[in-house]
Amino acid sequence: MYQHTLFGAYINAIILLLLQRVLLLVASDVDALCACKILQALFQCDHVQYTLVPVAGWQELETAFLEHKDQFKYFVFINCGANVDLLEILQPEEDTFFFICDSHRPINVVNVYNDTQIKLLVKQDDDLDVPAYDDIFRDEEDEEEDSEDESDGSEPSEKRRRFEEVCCTGRKVTLQMWLFLHFRREILFDYEQYEYHGTSSAMVMFDLAWIMSKDLNDMLWWAIVGLTDQWVQDKITQMKYVTDIGILQRHVSRHNHRNEDEENSLSIDCMRIAFEYDLRLALYQHWSLYESLCNTSYTSASLKLWSVQGQKRLQEFLADMGLPLKQVKQKFNSMDVSLKENLREMIEESANKFGMKDLRVQTFSIHFGFKNKFSASDIVYATTSLMENIEKEDSETTNFIKALDSLSRGNLDKLHQGLDLAKKQLRAIQQTVASCICTNLVISQGPFLYCSLMEGTPDVKLFSKPVSLCLLSKYLLKSFVCSTKNKRCKLLPLVMAAPMDVEQGTVIMVGIPPEVESSDKKNFFGRAFEKARGPQGAVLPAGPGRCCPAGSVHASSTDSPGGLSPASKRCLPAQKPQTIIELKTEDRSKFLDALISLLS
Amino acid sequence: MEPAEVEFLAEKELVTIVPNFSLDRIHLIGGDLGPFNPGLPVEVPVWLAINLKQRQKCRLIPPEWMDVGKLEEIRDQERKEDTFTPMPSPYYMELTKLLLNYASDNIPRADEIRTLVKDTWDTRMAKLRLSADSFVRQQEAHAKLDNLTLMEINTTGTFLTQALDHMYKLRTNLQPGESSHSQDFW
Repeated sequence: MYQHTLFGAYINAIILLLLQRVLLLVASDVDALCACKILQALFQCDHVQYTLVPVAGWQELETAFLEHKDQFKYFVFINCGANVDLLEILQPEEDTFFFICDSHRPINVVNVYNDTQIKLLVKQDDDLDVPAYDDIFRDEEDEEEDSEDESDGSEPSEKRRRFEEVCCTGRKVTLQMWLFLHFRREILFDYEQYEYHGTSSAMVMFDLAWIMSKDLNDMLWWAIVGLTDQWVQDKITQMKYVTDIGILQRHVSRHNHRNEDEENSLSIDCMRIAFEYDLRLALYQHWSLYESLCNTSYTSASLKLWSVQGQKRLQEFLADMGLPLKQVKQKFNSMDVSLKENLREMIEESANKFGMKDLRVQTFSIHFGFKNKFSASDIVYATTSLMENIEKEDSETTNFIKALDSLSRGNLDKLHQGLDLAKKQLRAIQQTVASCICTNLVISQGPFLYCSLMEGTPDVKLFSKPVSLCLLSKYLLKSFVCSTKNKRCKLLPLVMAAPMDVEQGTVIMVGIPPEVESSDKKNFFGRAFEKARGPQGAVLPAGPGRCCPAGSVHASSTDSPGGLSPASKRCLPAQKPQTIIELKTEDRSKFLDALISLLS
Repeated sequence: MEPAEVEFLAEKELVTIVPNFSLDRIHLIGGDLGPFNPGLPVEVPVWLAINLKQRQKCRLIPPEWMDVGKLEEIRDQERKEDTFTPMPSPYYMELTKLLLNYASDNIPRADEIRTLVKDTWDTRMAKLRLSADSFVRQQEAHAKLDNLTLMEINTTGTFLTQALDHMYKLRTNLQPGESSHSQDFW
């Protein structure tokens, strides 16, 4: 159950009484990295020993758990593990404890209702919409009437397994039980249909630090970066983003109010965070304004920069603002001060004329020392590109640790390296998007759009990593929506494929929800991919996929391929929803056909 | 002596902190510390203060001489006098460096303090160099300097003594034939 405020007490108990070590399993995204940093700082304050294991998918999670389960009793999962039945998959001992801090929703009902071994870290006001306990699990007395099991455990997972056995073996069931099972199926179906994201784990961790009175400006900054990562990757709605920004703004004023006080102002080396209503242009302060305008998805899609008319519109846009081309093409820091002064208001005014209404966004920026000023989204881009760096042949763990290090203030060289890599990545994304649109690579398959990158495409190696491919697909969908005239196509979701490993002949596929103004960012591709793959991995046994938002099919479950009956699908081994999967190249067309028939 | 050794000695100085935890008296070899009560100031050595600060368990209170007005006075005094003036603490340089590195958010106007202390240090080093120079030039036998701190002595100490040594050897070798024991000096 929810164990928010007691987590601090638990950790104190750990160090003072038990002196146990803790295993941290951290997923590979920037939000998880930030949450991990905050937790590491808290551990260091109290000298708690921990081991950090980065995981990039379900396989790695299971392997890491199996390797370490003898040595550790306390496991902390950051941004992984909430949306599956952990007890069933990992089969832990009785005295192991799992602490889960995950922004993926919906949280698996077993995880929610387990009282002993699983502790979830969620914010009080995060609405989980969990179905009531009585609707899903039955009491013991009723059970004992129907089955002759002597087990007395009240573990919800055991109960659920027993129900599955009952319905699978086709025993004679009473009408009451049948109704219960029917309603239960419906409720669970609705609950687990779409997947989305809740509050960022970094913010939850910062909340924890605040409750323990150990919050620092550094941790607040990491919480901000975690939230901005969710926004950059389009995982949360605009409304939620603005609400969370408001929450963080209160903390920022609490920590940084001394900056206005002239008498006792802080040393220039101290870190200051400031709230800004900044431009939405990626990395514009570390690049030239022109490059930033060309390589940000919002501006590039609105101005349609892949076409010749688009380029002309860009020139018109710049002329409208009165910015000379020469100024705009040089490094931002070297631009004329007179031009930089009112830049934001000028750009916003002109942008409104050109149909870009949301060019400014509420965000935070940090500065320390005389030279170092970064905006939150800069850090997000830099860290993502460090984490998925393909330039050197380092292992994934090395890249993870490097990205983790770059979040500390002392490692500015790594941060600058990350910024350079991010610029390359953004440029590559824009060029790929432009070529896809110009060569009409995005085709409508009926219920969804599909685009596949060929092996010889320049920079295609960059897109063999999940987060980069996700970014590419979101930008592609945005641009496609702006470029197409077909009204129906504008509302379709997108499935994107790119070669993952040429030697092994695998392909990485990702599915994202449609690009609509009032989108609630709920994704059904996880369940859809799972079903299209088949029960035993008819296409391929589950490769390293990421636990991303998933949802089930909106068609009725009786239509699932392979003739799976509704009852039997519940007998499957624990499902692992994944919106990003790995396939063998030859299985790709079969998978697509299965997916099309599933969704139509 | 290495500068690190001098800093180690400086870390024994006492400084006031305000802890946010509670702990009974602890008995260490060098003496007793504590008891620690949240919100009540207590005096601890600098090494413990820095450690607690890094673990976010306390707030440091700067020593009373670490104040812009006082340091300005000291700096002006130092510039006026020809000899060395007494310093507020025998380890003023090390303490400034340690406290400003780790606890600059607890010290108001930290940048100005850093500049003032550096100015004072520079003035004193200049005086030291000047007096060493005149000492050597006039071939004095001994000199007396008041109010020098260990760190300042340490910066010139080794060099000065070795240089004087060499000069003595060179000087004795200038008188040839008088002693055939010159080789014994090597």
